[in-house]
Amino acid sequence: MSTTVKRVYGYLAEFESASKLYKAAEKVRDAGFEKWDCYSPYPIHGLDNAMGIKRSILPYMVFFGGLTGFFTALALAYITQVSIYPTVVQGKPANIFTVPAFFPIMFELTVLFSGFTTLFGLLGLMQLPRYNHPLFASKQFARVTDDGFFIAIEARDPKFSAESTKQLLADIGGANIELVEDEN
Amino acid sequence: MAHAVTSKDIPVKGEHLPKSKVNGLMMVCGGIAAIGTIASFIYLAFAQGEVKGTYAFSWLFATFYFFTIAMGGCFWTLLHNVSNSGWGTSVRRLMENVGFVFPFLFVFAIPLLFPSVQTFLYEWMTEHRTALQEAPDKGAGIEAALDARGGQHDGLLIAKLWYLNLGFWHLRFVLFALGLGFVIWKLRKLSVDQDTCGAPGTERLFKARAMSSWGIAVFAVTLTFLAVDWVMGLDYTWFSTMWGVYVFAGSALNSMAIIIITSILLRKAGFLKKVVTPEHDHLMGKLTFAFTVFWAYISFSQFFLYWYANVTEETRYFILRNTENWNLLSYILVFGHFGAPFLLLIRQDLKKNANYMLFMAGYLLVMHFLDVYHMIIPERGPSVGNVVDHDPKLWIDYGPALDILAFIIVGCGFVFFYLRNLTSVALYPHRDPRILESANVNN
Repeated sequence: MSTTVKRVYGYLAEFESASKLYKAAEKVRDAGFEKWDCYSPYPIHGLDNAMGIKRSILPYMVFFGGLTGFFTALALAYITQVSIYPTVVQGKPANIFTVPAFFPIMFELTVLFSGFTTLFGLLGLMQLPRYNHPLFASKQFARVTDDGFFIAIEARDPKFSAESTKQLLADIGGANIELVEDEN
Repeated sequence: MAHAVTSKDIPVKGEHLPKSKVNGLMMVCGGIAAIGTIASFIYLAFAQGEVKGTYAFSWLFATFYFFTIAMGGCFWTLLHNVSNSGWGTSVRRLMENVGFVFPFLFVFAIPLLFPSVQTFLYEWMTEHRTALQEAPDKGAGIEAALDARGGQHDGLLIAKLWYLNLGFWHLRFVLFALGLGFVIWKLRKLSVDQDTCGAPGTERLFKARAMSSWGIAVFAVTLTFLAVDWVMGLDYTWFSTMWGVYVFAGSALNSMAIIIITSILLRKAGFLKKVVTPEHDHLMGKLTFAFTVFWAYISFSQFFLYWYANVTEETRYFILRNTENWNLLSYILVFGHFGAPFLLLIRQDLKKNANYMLFMAGYLLVMHFLDVYHMIIPERGPSVGNVVDHDPKLWIDYGPALDILAFIIVGCGFVFFYLRNLTSVALYPHRDPRILESANVNN
């Protein structure tokens, strides 16, 4: 038996169905918690409103990612096709009025950069990839990929308390309430 | 708030827009449309000369503008049914009502059947008719007549004869009206019958879906060839395989704009409030945004290939529109029809703002005005000048005044028939099995 003190991650509570999870989420939100999350096998429409999650900043990142792609393509095409090595094709002028020829490249790079920003921005905001998650210490949590609906309130939330948080989860209909501890 | 609407909130007999509320507007629009249309018909049938030719183009422009919107309404109805959608059930009746203006609009298309109007609009018809008159052997038919004449473009006319001939063109005109007219009439009837059905089930939904699966093909063929016959045919030497899709992009975009405007105005007047929410504004705003991009993608693809290939025979359309002052209009379309709405429609919170969307939808309709203008009116100067005194011009000074006159007349007709459709049935399908799903939609 280990004698090291384990770090408490938080409380995990199970809910019967998606709609119970939804209603419980509204109550946790109204109780003023910030560091908590819902876990379900599939996306639930409107759950982000019930949880009171603010809009992600991802769209702004994507917009500027796309803008960067747009200007990269314009610069790439213009510098190579007009400035450095003017290419005359089909009698088209080698100046800015050839810009329609660059549109496909501008379109493609805008899409590519937006796509990359979406993917990597999303991974960054979710702090993925990661080796492990403290909730994996809980045996019952494995059911979240099958038929389990869970709410976990983290201990680092300023409103967290060993007694009243447990009571709150019980009051809003949580079952199998478990104090999850970090494995290392 | 989500999850608020239950069947208790839906009136048993549905919501109706009382005729008395819009009676004044209907009378004014109907009056202007009736007097204007009759006067225009008489003028177009009996007048001669340059002003008549100019007005013929104005009339085609105005009629085609509202045709695109009505056909877009048919498209949204068909798409909603065929994709088995639930989100838009509460605005589906608006789609059906916009679409059902389509058969009525053929009243305004009647002048296109007058030979003296066709003379100005469709050069190939004139060529066919004169070739037949001058033919040495009167009974030998059009191909022999064109062959005997052997003029500069007669080989082209013979090659295109299987499609561009007077009989088939007029037959298609009738088929457009009957085909898509029947589809939208039947779909709207299925939907309306549900409103008074004592035991409403899913039977009509499945029927509508089955019908839409082939109806959407009828729609695609009708829109494509109507656009080819009436507008691309203005210059029979030019062709574009993108043409149908190009017209479709603007058509779907702007009928959605009309649906957005109607749903917002109705809510401001106190209707639809239970079932249409900012979530619907957002969903419809997203479709508007998507079709803004689609329009740009298609119109650029059409332009790009001709511009790059630079083949003399194929470039006439764009040479006319990308030189002199018409080029200014082309630039306005690039930035006004695509650039500005693309940036202005990106934000989610703005798409949920009714007043903002009202403005944007109105703005898009103005841009569609310019887009259709750009399709049709540049052909006017060359065509009318050529017919009147063999002197093709670029521009006719008094043209825009006549364009606006025709636009007001046909526009009033569109508003009249649209209001007639709106007031004759319930504003949303209140007995549709998915009305609650739609009312509580969240995205």
